[in-house]
Amino acid sequence: MHNQWAQFINTSVPGANATVVAPVGTTDAATGVTTPGIGDSWITVAADEIHAVCKALKQGEHEFTTLQAISGVDYLAEGQIELCYILASMNKNTELILKTRVPRGDGVKLSKLPSVVSVWSAANFLERECFDMFGVSFLGHPNLKRVLCPDDWTGYPLRKDYVVQEKYLDMVINPPSKMNIQEREFGARHAHIAGATTSVENYSVPAPAKEQ
Amino acid sequence: MQDSIVLAKLDDFLNWGRKNSLWPMTFGLACCAIEMMATGASKYDLERFGCGAFMATPRRADLMIVAGTVSLKMATRIKTLWEQMPGPKYVISMGSCANKGGPYWQHGYHVLKGVDEVVPVDVYVPGCPPRPEALIEGLMTLQRKIARERMARDRWVKHA
Repeated sequence: MHNQWAQFINTSVPGANATVVAPVGTTDAATGVTTPGIGDSWITVAADEIHAVCKALKQGEHEFTTLQAISGVDYLAEGQIELCYILASMNKNTELILKTRVPRGDGVKLSKLPSVVSVWSAANFLERECFDMFGVSFLGHPNLKRVLCPDDWTGYPLRKDYVVQEKYLDMVINPPSKMNIQEREFGARHAHIAGATTSVENYSVPAPAKEQ
Repeated sequence: MQDSIVLAKLDDFLNWGRKNSLWPMTFGLACCAIEMMATGASKYDLERFGCGAFMATPRRADLMIVAGTVSLKMATRIKTLWEQMPGPKYVISMGSCANKGGPYWQHGYHVLKGVDEVVPVDVYVPGCPPRPEALIEGLMTLQRKIARERMARDRWVKHA
């Protein structure tokens, strides 16, 4: 089914470069038993052609009339943000995960890709949420502003390099009197012991100095 | 009874009236609000304590039950609502999130670590979410607190 869809995308939108990615199964060398891969297959497309691809999928023979979700994943090491569009067809009883990647940028200059609001109106809030959380700019969106965070918020919280801000307006976000300082001190002092650290990086309260 | 006289201290009389007609504000933030609704409904019946009249405006409410996660975006609104309430006014912080951030305590970039950062809290009700009995206990604690108030001393006598 995915191959059929990928072929359809490639014939309708020449620059889309649609590729099917299927979960890889494993074969045990000794017994020869093959275990199928776990999870769903998906189709990756070029980010610049996402609007054309979505339009073709909706209006073409496969009738993907429903957009269920747009979610983002920040790949810090690869310097990319992946956007997953989960489409569904009520008429054909099918579901498709469409993925595309954009450069993640530096959080100030945002990456851009075409908006699909003109295809599905449901994308309006979903793209606003993606913009709010990951800092991806959608070209052609009618009202691209923050939806969950306050309008005067700085930063994009779900980016992996996001640092919690110290104050919002006059409210201290992590008041030292309410933090578990003892646990953090324990983690800092015992950082040389494997497994004894606590995962409190990216923290607005500075960690105490390490004891030698 | 027609010509009888009842003698009481003014403080006691006012406190009696005040503690038995606490009107909370219709106001819920998260899942704790579901428990608050259950407490107000017929099975637990907050009206037994004179506290069942959930007012739809802060200007007619005496009690603010902060039921749920207080995000930073909401905290500014909560402060505005609290400022709109006429005095004497009371705040019950219901549930772990409103008490101290709850599960968002360590890594919640968007959650206020306790509603007492923005409004003064009279009673904290622990639980995640608290059962209706716990909220009723919190309310009765607040009533006991109100019963001990001294209006004249607290308001007009400085440094009493």
